[in-house]
Amino acid sequence: MTMPATRTAYPPSQRLEPSPDLVTKRRIPLSRRVPMTLSRISWYLLCSLLAVTMLVPLLWMISIALKPDSNILQLPPQLLPRSFQWSNFIRGPEQIQFPQLLANTVTVTVLSVFGSVASSMLAGYAIARIRFPGRNFWFYLFTFSIFVPGIVTLIPIQRMFFAMHLIDTWFPLILPSFFGNPVFIFLARQYFTSIPRSIDESAMIDGAGHWKIFTQLMIPLTKPLWITMTIMAFQGSWNDFLNPLVYLNSDSKYTLSLGMANFMGGLNEATPQFNYYMASNLLYMLPPLVLFFFAQRYFMMGLGTLGVSQK
Amino acid sequence: MEAFARPAGRGLSHRRRNTVTAYLFILPTIVGVAVFMIYPLISSAFHAFTKWDGLSPARWTGLDNFRYMLFDDPTFWPSLRATAYFVLLSVPSGIVFGLALAVLLNRVVPGVKLFRTIFYLPVVLPSIAVLTLWKYIYDPLYGLANQLLTDLHLPTSQWLQSSRMAMPAIVIIGIWGVGGSMIIFLAGLQNVPVEVYEAARTDGAGPIRMFFAITLPLITPIILLQLVLGLVLAFQAFNQVAVLTNGGPGTSTTLFMYKIYSDAFGSYPNLGLATAEALILFVIIMIITGVTLRTSSMWVFEETK
Repeated sequence: MTMPATRTAYPPSQRLEPSPDLVTKRRIPLSRRVPMTLSRISWYLLCSLLAVTMLVPLLWMISIALKPDSNILQLPPQLLPRSFQWSNFIRGPEQIQFPQLLANTVTVTVLSVFGSVASSMLAGYAIARIRFPGRNFWFYLFTFSIFVPGIVTLIPIQRMFFAMHLIDTWFPLILPSFFGNPVFIFLARQYFTSIPRSIDESAMIDGAGHWKIFTQLMIPLTKPLWITMTIMAFQGSWNDFLNPLVYLNSDSKYTLSLGMANFMGGLNEATPQFNYYMASNLLYMLPPLVLFFFAQRYFMMGLGTLGVSQK
Repeated sequence: MEAFARPAGRGLSHRRRNTVTAYLFILPTIVGVAVFMIYPLISSAFHAFTKWDGLSPARWTGLDNFRYMLFDDPTFWPSLRATAYFVLLSVPSGIVFGLALAVLLNRVVPGVKLFRTIFYLPVVLPSIAVLTLWKYIYDPLYGLANQLLTDLHLPTSQWLQSSRMAMPAIVIIGIWGVGGSMIIFLAGLQNVPVEVYEAARTDGAGPIRMFFAITLPLITPIILLQLVLGLVLAFQAFNQVAVLTNGGPGTSTTLFMYKIYSDAFGSYPNLGLATAEALILFVIIMIITGVTLRTSSMWVFEETK
């Protein structure tokens, strides 16, 4: 059974360069072997240089997060903290009631991840595997809505939630995700289409309906798909700034993105707790980072499959 | 009789049952598209021609919003110019650097996975966390940017506080997150059949020749995808400006999306004007994507099967 997303990492390019022992066995002249190693060394040098450049901002953030208060307004600034002030990780989060905002963000994120993945899986399954009148029409309509910029719909939707007295609640952040995510439906449809029909045909002969096939056969079969969607939805919700900014007014309901932006916005030379800020910022980054290290494959896959499926 | 009648009856009801099931499965999405896309589009198309502050009912004013925008609004044209500048800087740089990194990392050597992870890392971080970090990096007095420039005896800059450097500074943050486009290019590069390279190598082609003669033409479909995605996203960039500059200094970073937001949700909400501007943005995005896709046949390589 072939599935688009589970293809093993990078088989074709493995054949690009023959393995080292093959090279030596064929006794390639020294003149050709030396530039190989030279180019390899310069490749490592170049990549390391780029990697360090990429990491410098993050390392600098960690350094600020550990700096004692007396270090913050020092001129010229020091790259490394003079001593480590670990209490930044306690007092920083206290400034913005971090635990409260974390609980808010987790609530919003968990509910909207569940909503968008469940509704999009159902829609993707139906469009890919059930023959019914209007199926192409709906697929095109759902796909079209990918291209409608969020700002065009934001103002009327905001007025709608305003009329429903749902401003300054989490409903506007959660509710829409239960009604399907066009990008996810597109991905799900591609994935479901690639699964051989014989699987559900034999289940149908055994008398299984679509609900049973979907829940008992398809969900286990499409694990890479819904893990990828879960990660994409998690990132979308965890990182969302514009919607909380538009819908939430009271500090106690803020999500972390909003709280962190306000925290930074309030810092200046008179209140220079940048060390507190960077410590809190590290905590804010931690959940997506942990998720990334556990599910790295799936993180990169969502975009990868989207790119490949366009071919 | 019954035995004969049943299969036919079952077949018919089976098909109908399929249709019912399918519509139950896509029902949430149909409702979502109706409530969160079609209704808002209709509402926007109407309210763009009204004076509307959100408190009192909207009043039909014909083309007034568009007339104001084009001729009287002091920030409309500057914000379009800032948006065009941002798009022209950020989209090509994303593609060039993303492709360069992907080509660099498209080999099988020990450690390549570590490099891929490191280059992808900034993409994983929440945008607000990244932007607030860079806001401090760009601080003229205490920031890392000027500190490093001073250490290297290079001229320093006011970065976000300079109307000349603010936009390039914002674009640099985007380049830091180029790992996202790198991953898409990597997936594309791995689809290029190896036999082609092997044939070219036996013909004596060098790596640069191979890149321009084989790699580049074969991944033009991915470049097109990246170009379209990049354009659509760049025209809607908002967080950068909201966190870093509030559109300033002057109007140097007033991206159009930020202007729409300020007109709609600022201290003097002008929802009619903001809706009209949102429609203009929609039309601009559609035209530019359309032109990109239409002209793509001139440079996108299509495999003849």
